[in-house]
Amino acid sequence: MTANRHWIARACAAVFAIALLYPFTAFFVHVGAWQWGQDVRRPALASIRVSLLLTTVAMAIIVVLGTPVAAYIARCRTRERLIWQALLLVPILLPPLALGILMTLAFGPYGSLGSLLERYGIVMTNSATAFVTTQVYVGMGYYVLGAVAALDAVPSMLQKQAALLGLTPMKVFLRVTLPLARLGLAVALSIAWVRAIGEFGAVVVTAYYPSGMPVQLWVNLQSFGLPAVMPLLVVFLAVALPLPWLIHVLAQRQRRHA
Amino acid sequence: MLKAKIIKKRRELEVNVTLQLGPGESLGLFGASGAGKSTVLACIAGIEEPDDGYVALGDCKFFPPSLPLHRRPVGYLTQEPGLFPHLTVGENICFGISKRMANDKEQVAWIETLRDRLQLASLWHASASLISGGQARRVSLARMLARKPALVLLDEPFTGLDRQLVRELIDDLVSWNQTLGFSMIAVDHQVEVLKRLCPQRAIVLEHGKIAQSGTWEEIRSAPATPLLRSLLAPL
Repeated sequence: MTANRHWIARACAAVFAIALLYPFTAFFVHVGAWQWGQDVRRPALASIRVSLLLTTVAMAIIVVLGTPVAAYIARCRTRERLIWQALLLVPILLPPLALGILMTLAFGPYGSLGSLLERYGIVMTNSATAFVTTQVYVGMGYYVLGAVAALDAVPSMLQKQAALLGLTPMKVFLRVTLPLARLGLAVALSIAWVRAIGEFGAVVVTAYYPSGMPVQLWVNLQSFGLPAVMPLLVVFLAVALPLPWLIHVLAQRQRRHA
Repeated sequence: MLKAKIIKKRRELEVNVTLQLGPGESLGLFGASGAGKSTVLACIAGIEEPDDGYVALGDCKFFPPSLPLHRRPVGYLTQEPGLFPHLTVGENICFGISKRMANDKEQVAWIETLRDRLQLASLWHASASLISGGQARRVSLARMLARKPALVLLDEPFTGLDRQLVRELIDDLVSWNQTLGFSMIAVDHQVEVLKRLCPQRAIVLEHGKIAQSGTWEEIRSAPATPLLRSLLAPL
């Protein structure tokens, strides 16, 4: 590629990146003085606490349940793997609002499982349990599909060599597969994190209370208008974006050094 | 005693090989590319599963049914060193050593012997992902021998290495073959390498079948096929 063509390509990429980041110029649009009074601050801080705490719980559940499933799918033959991957795509492809409605009906007091759980004191609508369950459903598919790709990228010959050196399959997984796939798994988890913490459509139906950040943004917009939304929006971006962004950068660095 | 009959169908090749090997013996598998040499080794190691046949090392039955890899007392060395890139050289070499074995004085002495003979002391704490190809082969050899396997399988492990290093590695392997008493099967394209590594006898494969077997002298003096005569001819 000549130097001129290289610069043209670089300029096109820069225009593309600027177009992608253009919505962030909204922070400089005059919407009036930002509101951070007591009536805005208290629910906003509560929503930050809810989002961070419950999304962390949801991610722990996703990792504990999703990693063994991903390890199983990564070992499946092509046809079986396609079936599992197609199933995992269902909650991803479903419109969030539709997922929320389905979950409310299935887990709510009108569903057989929901009424059974309620008998044991587990309320599956407008509760922390409902919030976490919804986030698990929203993020699980992203994590497992990403984790399958990460585990696939570990050379099978290394795993076989480890087995020939006397390691049981579980030890091979813990000492070879998992360490070599760790950044891929972290990327998968960060995508699930972003997807879950930013989920509005499904959560607003299943768990309007306790309100997480996206729901609180909507409440602020409805109740006070844009000036009350902007401060929480800044906090939301500061909380949700750095972790996946950092992991993605680290993963790219590792790939370059490999 | 290793007793193996490997039957494995490939797309354009059916491997059908029977071989026996006593403790401490070495055997060279020779033939053109695609003759099925690597398939035989992979089936004995368990990397691939034969379609039919049997593999047994003494009382230990590898196939059928397929014995899990971690229960096979086999060392398997290929063209790719296959080091664990997230570990150091020392951790790679001690990878297959259990905590109980690691405290055994004899085992410690053996690891030190491997480290010194293969000149790995200065690399011990280096990351396995940052060492050269030749160094990686030496680490890979040390890692394989650290557990003192009863059977050693070598699939062109010296490809791409300089002659001096190949000579040193072969001398070490032959010496350990005699002192440790493991059985050894080696595959290589270069007849000189195989003769030096496995001086006792060889099997020549063509299209997945045994074309000739015997001592190197017998094979060289009366090659059984025109292809073998061509492979043995000097460049």
